[in-house]
Amino acid sequence: MKGIFRTTVLIAILLAGITAALFLHPLMIRAADSDLPIYLEDSTILLKTQTVKGVLYLPLADIVKNLSLPYTNDTSQEAFTVRGSNSQVVMTRNSASISVNNQVTQLSSPVLHDNGTWLVPMEFLQLGLSRVTATEFRRRAGAPRVFAGGVKAAELTMISQTQAALTRLTLRTSTPVTLQLKRETAQHRAILVFAPKPVDPVRENLDFKDRLVQSINFNDSDGSPKVIVEVSDDVSDVRMLSADENRVHFVDFLRKTEATQAAPPQAAPGPAASAADPRRQDGASTTATPARTVSTSTTGTIGIRVIVIDPGHGGTDSGVSAMDGLEKDLTLAIARKLRTTLQSQLGATVLLTRDSDVPLTSEARAAVANNNRADLFVSLHIGYSANKSDLSSSVYVIQENFAAAELATKEKGQRLFLPWYLGYAKNRPLSMKVAGILSEELGKSLPGWTFPVRSGPVAVLASTTMPAILIEVGNLNNPASTQALLDAAFQTRFSATVAGAIERLSAPRQPDK
Amino acid sequence: MNTIPRHLKIGVVLIAIAGIISAGYFVGVVGRIRSMVREQETTSNPFVAPTAPLFSSADPPADVKIFFPPGSGMSILSAEHRTIFKSGELSNRVKQILQIVVDGPMTKEFLPAVPKDTKLQEVFISNDGVLFVDFSSALSVNHPGGMINEQATIYSIVDSILYNLPEIHQVKILIGGTEQETLAGHCLLLLPLEMDLSITSEEEGTHAN
Repeated sequence: MKGIFRTTVLIAILLAGITAALFLHPLMIRAADSDLPIYLEDSTILLKTQTVKGVLYLPLADIVKNLSLPYTNDTSQEAFTVRGSNSQVVMTRNSASISVNNQVTQLSSPVLHDNGTWLVPMEFLQLGLSRVTATEFRRRAGAPRVFAGGVKAAELTMISQTQAALTRLTLRTSTPVTLQLKRETAQHRAILVFAPKPVDPVRENLDFKDRLVQSINFNDSDGSPKVIVEVSDDVSDVRMLSADENRVHFVDFLRKTEATQAAPPQAAPGPAASAADPRRQDGASTTATPARTVSTSTTGTIGIRVIVIDPGHGGTDSGVSAMDGLEKDLTLAIARKLRTTLQSQLGATVLLTRDSDVPLTSEARAAVANNNRADLFVSLHIGYSANKSDLSSSVYVIQENFAAAELATKEKGQRLFLPWYLGYAKNRPLSMKVAGILSEELGKSLPGWTFPVRSGPVAVLASTTMPAILIEVGNLNNPASTQALLDAAFQTRFSATVAGAIERLSAPRQPDK
Repeated sequence: MNTIPRHLKIGVVLIAIAGIISAGYFVGVVGRIRSMVREQETTSNPFVAPTAPLFSSADPPADVKIFFPPGSGMSILSAEHRTIFKSGELSNRVKQILQIVVDGPMTKEFLPAVPKDTKLQEVFISNDGVLFVDFSSALSVNHPGGMINEQATIYSIVDSILYNLPEIHQVKILIGGTEQETLAGHCLLLLPLEMDLSITSEEEGTHAN
């Protein structure tokens, strides 16, 4: 009997221990403190956050003190009450239920009280505090900052791109901001400080790394919004240009050896450029047109300054295939050649939608061109015809009036925004002109090959807001054609012809109308 | 016998009872799962419509033009003359035409437009004359790719329907029961498509019917 009693007691102690451990478990796992700013209309509060068991917690006392809200901290009842003008929120230790004006609201994580500090999960701001203060608290999912009430934050998007002798970081904000560039050479950093605050970045950091730039991170944990760029030893100079009435900022990191040869940034592009681009006639940016450092040629007559080349397919999507070649590899090889040729012949800024073997949606490809305000979009594809002897290639433009009728009948013109896949509409006539010239030049330069202009519901062209075409070259079902496409000399010749045609186009365009 | 303590006896008896109960429960659960599986096997799927003939012997024949990629020449599609039976039901005429497209051309002059193993799954015609047609996923999975090829496949379906059946104004293609962005990476399928005779050797305004 004595033995059983002892075993029972041991088991009971063990169970109690496990229960206690489970109970205390959330309090044991803690991460280091970090700062989170809450932007109010006239001030900014900085809160020391704590991560407990993967949940972000805020110190409750600091919030109410900063907002000057009356509160009661009842240690005997283990309850904390915050009062507003005619409302109150009551929280109890280790309970996810909070009482808002005597109605129970459920938080996803419990309120904690530990060492005299009350901690509340982030959503307390929306579910509890907003009811007491009658102020809305907004937070982008996962972002370490909160905006209160009528605070208007400038939405920030960042794009970075490796170019010939420099790396360009483009910062685009929804409202005008001024940027101050601070160079910390010793720490290998460049800091871009925003004014006025607050700033609401779409993403906290840019997944980008090249020879010049190590990392690009947004940080406002001290209440002052800034972008911190870690640079390598190869950077000789950092230059900044503002455009579009301070809504766009270009930050160029120049490479050491070639910095002396790089053309200095020119603030005013030729008048032909702004007149030639129909998108800039809407009055949005006629006063401060972006100055693009590399794209201004010596003659000043170039209308095409940014070209986006889209190597078709990629990643799991190989496109069409032959025994010894895949479309995705061929398009990338040709696109790279075309980039080099265009950069040297036109001095244009040339961007690829993909520079590695990755899959992209049609929308993502069009977005690269739209976001970089490209003047021309060229999608490269390789053909495959069921007819083995077929040697025709094509230059595609989007179908005339594609989707327009469909939308017109359904919405009767009462449209506030242009649907994404109608982006092509304004520039279709120009696209036709581009296709015509490319078809002519390619036909001339490559004997035996034809490049008729065709139109179709091409997905990648539908949402581009600039002249856009798709070239489908060759037939991978034809051995001779495949052989030519795999031949580096043919690829060079093809890209030289395309570049030549674009050069012919880029003579000053007549403004439409 | 007296060497075994009493509490051990009680313990063994308790474990035995627990064992019997759990064994019984397990048998019951297994039995229930079996009967559920059997039930599922025997009941017919209520979501599959019973198959009915697409036309009756009384229906008059009608000539239609079905668009296939030609074996030679520059146009993307060319018309092959075929016959369907004029069933009173519009969806039956739609299905007959699409079945010809799926089965492929009769003569060597033309090439098949639709990849092999593609099945026509279902059609639905809305009140405003939009045909929703659902093909099995082979339409996109087995597709060799290429812009022209893709355009040929899509407009073989769209033009063959819209040219021969003026009651229908637009065709929306679904694959595997769902909406797809493109067929094989080129042609946008998110919106209903209209007839495009510019890619065929046919002239505009020579509609049948």
